[in-house]
Amino acid sequence: MNRLISRAMLAALCVLTFASAMSAQVGSYAITNAKIVTVSGSVIEKGTVVIRNGLIESVGTGVRVPADAKVLDGEGMTVYPGLIDTRSSLGIPQTPARPQGGPSAQTQQDESISKYPEGLRPEVVAASKLKAGEAQFANQRNAGFTTALTIEDEGIFNGQSALINLAGESAAEMIVRSPWAQHVSFRTLRGGNFPSSLMGTFAALRQMFLDARRHAKILEMYEKDPRGMKRPDRDVSLEALIPLLNGEQPIVFNANSEREIIRALDLAKEFGLKAFISGGQESWKVADRLKDQNVPVLLSLDFPKRTLTEHKEAEPETLETLRLRVEVPKNPARLKQAGVNFAFHTGELKNLRDFFANAREAVTNGLSEADAVRAMTLSAAEIFGVEKQTGSIEAGKIANLVVVKGDLLDEKAAVTHVFVDGKEFEPPKRPERPAGTAAGNTTGAPANVAGTWNLTIEPPGQTVGATLVLTQQGNVVTGTLSSPVFPSAPIRDGRVTANGFSFLVTVSFGGMDIDVTFDGRVTGNEVEGTADTVQGPAAFRGTRTPR
Amino acid sequence: MKRNWKLLLTGIALATMFAAGVFAQNGTDVLIRNATVLTAAKGTLQNTDILITNGKIARIGKNLRAPNAKVIDATGKFVSPGLIDCHSHAMLDSINEGSSAVTSMVTTSDVLDTTDVTIYRALAGGVTAANLLHGSANPIGGLNTVVKFKYGRPMDEFLFPGAPPGIKFALGENVKRANSNVLPGSSRRYPATRMGTMEVIRDAFIRARDYKKKWDDFKAGKTKIEPRRDIELEPLVEVLEGKRLVHAHGYRSDEHLNLMLIADEFGFKIATLQHGLEAYKIAPEISQRGTGVSIFMDYWGYKLEAYDTIPYNAYILWKNGVVVSLNSDSGERIRRLNLEAAKTMKYGGVPEEEALKMVTLNPAKQLGVDKRTGSIEVGKDADIVVWSGHPFSPFSHAETTMVDGEVFFDRKQDLARRGQLKAERERLEKMDANLPPGKRGKKDAEDKEEKPEATPVPTKGGNR
Repeated sequence: MNRLISRAMLAALCVLTFASAMSAQVGSYAITNAKIVTVSGSVIEKGTVVIRNGLIESVGTGVRVPADAKVLDGEGMTVYPGLIDTRSSLGIPQTPARPQGGPSAQTQQDESISKYPEGLRPEVVAASKLKAGEAQFANQRNAGFTTALTIEDEGIFNGQSALINLAGESAAEMIVRSPWAQHVSFRTLRGGNFPSSLMGTFAALRQMFLDARRHAKILEMYEKDPRGMKRPDRDVSLEALIPLLNGEQPIVFNANSEREIIRALDLAKEFGLKAFISGGQESWKVADRLKDQNVPVLLSLDFPKRTLTEHKEAEPETLETLRLRVEVPKNPARLKQAGVNFAFHTGELKNLRDFFANAREAVTNGLSEADAVRAMTLSAAEIFGVEKQTGSIEAGKIANLVVVKGDLLDEKAAVTHVFVDGKEFEPPKRPERPAGTAAGNTTGAPANVAGTWNLTIEPPGQTVGATLVLTQQGNVVTGTLSSPVFPSAPIRDGRVTANGFSFLVTVSFGGMDIDVTFDGRVTGNEVEGTADTVQGPAAFRGTRTPR
Repeated sequence: MKRNWKLLLTGIALATMFAAGVFAQNGTDVLIRNATVLTAAKGTLQNTDILITNGKIARIGKNLRAPNAKVIDATGKFVSPGLIDCHSHAMLDSINEGSSAVTSMVTTSDVLDTTDVTIYRALAGGVTAANLLHGSANPIGGLNTVVKFKYGRPMDEFLFPGAPPGIKFALGENVKRANSNVLPGSSRRYPATRMGTMEVIRDAFIRARDYKKKWDDFKAGKTKIEPRRDIELEPLVEVLEGKRLVHAHGYRSDEHLNLMLIADEFGFKIATLQHGLEAYKIAPEISQRGTGVSIFMDYWGYKLEAYDTIPYNAYILWKNGVVVSLNSDSGERIRRLNLEAAKTMKYGGVPEEEALKMVTLNPAKQLGVDKRTGSIEVGKDADIVVWSGHPFSPFSHAETTMVDGEVFFDRKQDLARRGQLKAERERLEKMDANLPPGKRGKKDAEDKEEKPEATPVPTKGGNR
């Protein structure tokens, strides 16, 4: 989007939302009789947390409940610091996908004064793109997240990230720290321009860092004594790299495989950069180097799982792939053991419940529960350098809290209250699942998934409408999927799952037969889930027409 | 659940043991006993022993004694130097930076994949080292990497110590994009002709010469501000200074000759002509300049410029005193370079040792690593293959392939390991993460209650 316009809109929105933000009461609260997991200190088995003016006023066992405080009886509840998602694109509107065969980036209007193409512009700041309004974060808050690092996942230089609290009507209110770090993806530029290969990406990065180093030197010379020296051209892109070379700003490399991580560490070493890894799927394999170079990992809890239904005609998966899926859940425990700092993020997870399910898997594989919770709270705050403000339950810190019925990592945990900057949010109560349903629907009556569903499927850059008609007999589902863009096709292997349905369908699209596995989660007459193909997954959602 | 876990742990332990058996021989002396040794330098030695100490060939002779050495009985077997592939794209996560005609700023060393299974297959074909080249999309391509195939080792152990740096050039159809379609509305990348290709190369070296002068002036104190470091031109300056080897892809003799003339003009030497399907037509001109040629033995006709060759190419070049190597440029051919060498005896009658050199010592010379590898001589790296029979027989196969005296492929161990791998696969395929959605989490109720054993201590790179 045109930057000037977006700024103007942002300003307008700020003005509009200012009044409402002011009027929203950030009152005082006292959560009493609760188990308090402070994270920074020991667990308080039965205590009180008092919140006032957006801060934690006091915490402990003998804490007096102020007369003006709204009291929440925490009997049977556990209070945790608000969860921090260490990598997201929250609050940043998605860049509209360029139409296929349309004009290239160059011919579109480009207001930047950078001489570098889009994707190689480290000066881009995520905070300037933030969309106002706290309603957009409801899903994350309902799951217990109060804070997130946000950065657009575009280009080689993604730009500079912002740490935001998931409340506040204006973007300005949300920001906890900005800019935090530069983010880099080892990918190529679109449209066949340099760099169009992974090799080229490294060359482009290397040349820009070398140029930035020289640019800094020349600016310094000119600053010292401009007389007799030609005024150096300003370069917004190179100047955004100077703090990285000086070690003033960290750089986060998105790297999952062992070799990607090694390449990132090598590049960081070459230019003396203060590096972080984001993703880190195979980071245990390079734990020694991560420790030696003091590189923390923003660790994705998006664990690899088999996505396609079995196919006799498909090539067998490699042993490497099979091993990786089993090894990755052991990664957090191994990093802990090796002394590498890490904090969790949600990665590409479509369903936030999987974040906790995978955290449990990490615990099953040797990580202590306390360390798992720490990796969602204080460790993240430490990584972002905001541990004095947030990440644990201590007097004086920001009142970012999550109140859970049961234990956070328990399968049956239910978030009852979330406080962001002391502002109370109450997630809608979700119906408690009968025990055992999550493990394959072996007990209890199967959910009702029959009916006509209007679906919206979202492969990257497009939206496809489809109609799904399902008939259900016990756990078995049959039916058809039809769409304006592909002919009607019968579904196969249809079944009722723990919380919805799954089936396989072969769709004729663009002259090809594509197998798609649908895995949907049903809530009332709504469904959302993933449509998986060999080309990659796509999200889908839809509603059921009441009969 | 508990049972599964124990099985898995046992599997990992076994896999580790096997890996240790194959790979962990660093520092151990090895004595290869009673072999027919094809030295690729000093003829064939019958009933000969080779003693390997600290990864080097320590002694060659009869009835050698080394009480502490691990003995490989090679009675009735043949031993050759490890084969070297002078043109490979194995291990590369990207091959072409095709966005521009001069891409000397990119390097294959940035995108190495040490887990590429091609490496293991090449080892099974007796290959111990390779020249990993940028593709042929550009007149001046990216920088190459010379590696030893130390499969399973960290990346830095692959890099051939002391190998001179190099760069890929390319001429002909691939460069002028004769075989690619230009999308409507977009323009064809320059150069579109063979003469344009030569202009691009000449222009690049003129720019490199100017760039070098800028730095020379700065170093001599003639200018105040340090010039910009240009990673596109730096490698070309190294070429001008004779410090970087040029490996030039091309098919037609007129083009390869033209390129050598440009090199004459700028005062450097082309290290190798790659492919050179018509090199036999300019054998004396190549020989005169001390340029090497790296060819396919008998592979042609796959595009217009690849028609005019003969299987006698290697022989004619050799006869003219050119250092010839036979390369693969393919993950398939790399497994049978020994047979490519054998064919040179059939077509023209290249002597046996000269034929073997075309896949051992000659590529080593072309890559500037012949002081360390390429032949079986005392003092050289123990890059050695034990063959079941003569390597020029299609019935022979590599039994043991060593790099720096360590075994990286062993046929017997490979065969023994297959059952383990099959069992491991079966175990893994039953685990939750490897089941398709909807089939997960169906465990016996009793299993659900039990906690698994503690996570095993991570082993570095131990899971491949």
